Amino acid sequence: MENYKNPGKQMKFGELFRLLNFCRTIQTEGTDPFDLDVKKFLETLKQYHKTKKWKSLDDLLLDAEAIAELAKIIELQGKWIKDRSSSFYIDPVLLELKLKMLEPQQLATAFFNSWHPIIAMDRITPQRLQEGLAYWNALLPFDERNDEFPFPSAIESAFGIEDLIELNILSKTEFDDSIKAVLNDLEARGRIEYHDFIYGDAFETSVKKAYLTSYLVNEGKAELDINPLEEEVFISPSNNANVNAKADHAQGRSIPVSLSYEDWLRWKEKQKRN
Amino acid sequence: MEGETEEELRTRTERKVKKAAQLLFFRQHRIPGVKGWELKKALGDDYVEVIGVLNSALDKLGMEVKRISEEGGGEGEGKEKRAERDRFMIVLKSPVIEKASGERIDNVAMLSATLAYIISKQGKASRKAVEDFLSAKFPKQRIYFALDRYIKQGYVGEADKVLYIGWRARAEVDRKALLDLILGA
Repeated sequence: MENYKNPGKQMKFGELFRLLNFCRTIQTEGTDPFDLDVKKFLETLKQYHKTKKWKSLDDLLLDAEAIAELAKIIELQGKWIKDRSSSFYIDPVLLELKLKMLEPQQLATAFFNSWHPIIAMDRITPQRLQEGLAYWNALLPFDERNDEFPFPSAIESAFGIEDLIELNILSKTEFDDSIKAVLNDLEARGRIEYHDFIYGDAFETSVKKAYLTSYLVNEGKAELDINPLEEEVFISPSNNANVNAKADHAQGRSIPVSLSYEDWLRWKEKQKRN
Repeated sequence: MEGETEEELRTRTERKVKKAAQLLFFRQHRIPGVKGWELKKALGDDYVEVIGVLNSALDKLGMEVKRISEEGGGEGEGKEKRAERDRFMIVLKSPVIEKASGERIDNVAMLSATLAYIISKQGKASRKAVEDFLSAKFPKQRIYFALDRYIKQGYVGEADKVLYIGWRARAEVDRKALLDLILGA
């Protein structure tokens, strides 16, 4: 802005920009709008009018912006007073404290006692069935609508073990040996919390171990036991006699178990404390 | 209507009340309830009176027609125009039944805490603040899943990572009673 060349103006603009930013913070963060001293804001603007004589378009635009932001804050102040004087107003800090103290059972009871569920039913009418039939009749066969259901491109799919072997990144023997080592470790440790089994001294080796363990689970050589309520996952070696049967008959399912560097750091800390 | 006998008037009103009940009980859209303008189209200009008659009938069954104001509309908007934009739905009048939901107790507790927290922050709070608050008692992964679910169900609304009270909580939850119950527990 041209006016910045004048050091006196620069100083004043700085003050004005600070006030404008403060107005925006109040609007976005929802802080107390009375933190802004409206009188002082107007005095600053007035002083600037008197001493610097706003003339350029930039000056006038800044003046208009300042007034607009101030008007928004005054509107928020009005709303704030209205909210505080309404019967809904409760000190947020007090409520937060109370919420933290209550047991889930008590919170649920409070909800049920203030809950008036909507009563609504779904019903298929003969007319709607007819519309459904008309839609079915007008629908092109699935193989003619491929564009609606595109297959994911090959590039997006994850690298499989075969790809890694093909790219000479890993050899089949090396991979089998690694899997065997993880299985031996699991058999030696028995049933164990999944993360305690996976995590080790380095995060990189932990990720590698998780990757190899997924193969053990997939092949039925290890079993995952999940307790969703407590968010605990245990892993144990499978009963050898059943491995093949399981691998043959078990229905495939994916079990996502998250690993993260932060989680690994927390685990390390916990290990140190113990 | 002019020249209409009392008997004819009663039959006409009964017919309209039946129609209003069907419209309100059976779902027409993804969100339950019917807009005022839809009721006006189906029942005529006196739809607010018809809803009043239906309300007295539902009262005996422990239900009522609730009118939820929708956002928008200017200051100068008339009462009639506002009613046309409002959503009408039937709700249980008093929370008398023991269990009206298959929700797990911890999910209801999280919903209860989320709503109370948002209400205490004058109706909106950043998603992060709500997540941090809930994380004092529940694992983060569960919180993300639960919040997404409340948003999908309409209990909580989300815009630009800010959570607010959703249409369903406005219709179903007596917010004042919820806060009183929590503070009094």
